[in-house]
Amino acid sequence: MDAAFPDLLKPFLKYAGTQPITSEASLHELGLDSMRAIELLFAIEDTYGVSMPDELLTDRTFATAGSLWDTIESLRGRTA
Amino acid sequence: MSTATGHEKALDEVLSATALHAEHTDAAAEFPTAALDAMRATGILGLLVPTQHGGGGGGLGDLVDMTLRLARVDMSVALIFAMHCQQVMAVVRHADGPLAERLLPALGKGNVYLASVTTERRKGGSLLSSESTARQDTGTLSIDRDAPIVTGGQHADAFLITTLAPEATSPSQVSLVYARRDQLTIEIRGGWQPLGMRATQSVPMRLTGRVPADQVIGAPGRFHEIVAPTFGPLAHIGWSAAWLGAATGALSRILHHIRDTGRSQFDPSSELLLTRLARIRGRLDLVNALLRHTVAAVQSAPDTAETSTQLLINNLKVQAAEQCFGAADEMVELVGLRHGYLRSSSLYLERVFRDLRSASLNYANDRLLLVNGALALRDRQVNLA
Repeated sequence: MDAAFPDLLKPFLKYAGTQPITSEASLHELGLDSMRAIELLFAIEDTYGVSMPDELLTDRTFATAGSLWDTIESLRGRTA
Repeated sequence: MSTATGHEKALDEVLSATALHAEHTDAAAEFPTAALDAMRATGILGLLVPTQHGGGGGGLGDLVDMTLRLARVDMSVALIFAMHCQQVMAVVRHADGPLAERLLPALGKGNVYLASVTTERRKGGSLLSSESTARQDTGTLSIDRDAPIVTGGQHADAFLITTLAPEATSPSQVSLVYARRDQLTIEIRGGWQPLGMRATQSVPMRLTGRVPADQVIGAPGRFHEIVAPTFGPLAHIGWSAAWLGAATGALSRILHHIRDTGRSQFDPSSELLLTRLARIRGRLDLVNALLRHTVAAVQSAPDTAETSTQLLINNLKVQAAEQCFGAADEMVELVGLRHGYLRSSSLYLERVFRDLRSASLNYANDRLLLVNGALALRDRQVNLA
């Protein structure tokens, strides 16, 4: 994960507290709900200049910090 | 054959007990114990348990049919039944191992009434987080649960209780725990004097006790995996059936009245009467179509957590709540003060109106609309389920 990615995630994770966000961390357990998820999506698209296709907007994509980062990486790869 | 028709005799018994006491249980805000006794005696509480465990082998469609029929007579009884079935389905689908082997035959007999303990003081009806902790030591789980609203809690034989998993590091690591009444100390912490749904006697309770640690339904801390495929859809489908049934029963009584004893008070050539009737009927047809379609979509969807299916399930709840209450409101207008507003009317529209006012609040429409707004933004193609 990009070093800045956990900082981007943090404001959307109401239970994140001060612990570091690892790539295995469950975003659901850290407090991401469907309303926060859409706000996070907009932040990711603005920050990384990607557009997430609708078919990737699933619970699986948003399961962990790592799964979300992998999705961003694959989209950046596509546009590079 | 639908199980509702297969269980016709049982349903008739429950309906008779319901009809006999509904006026009193509403007036006194008392639980419909006679109807519950009939549900236990006829075994229909085991409707959704597979036949190999001694249950009725019914599915979602059967739950809807039964709930619709009960709600025509009394929405409180229908809601009690539907919510019990939601709990049973959670056990049927998500309990495994020795726990499933113990529970399913017991529930299959149909004489165990299961109540749901998911509300908490500070988070209201929000399902997916908890502030109640459970302690685990030497194979037992200690529960201390304060719940502001437990439908039928005073009369339940067992409970499904949401509580934080013992090792939880986050408020979202919620477990669903099964506890029999004899495993708990139950303290009723207040009364129940609502506008409608009075017979559900949904009192505040504190439940404390120790249960074997294997009485967790599904994986510890992973209640959310039960909510998406089972708890959520069953709640919205069951509630919607109760609301539609209540509005349908009310319209039927009105039509009998217009065609029979009330004949002289209505003019069948009145355009106002006809258009009002048409609009009310239209609302019920809409909800029925949405309910049946949602049942079919949930049954055929490979993953009910998929965005379009989630949107549909939530929209069923929101629309059924609005349309059924809207229909009851128009029915009051249609029949006027004496039969629409007075408690003494044999049409008991006044009770249905009060009962249906709860629909938008019972897991608040406002909260679901926020979720659906966020989900709608995920689906630019607007793939309707």
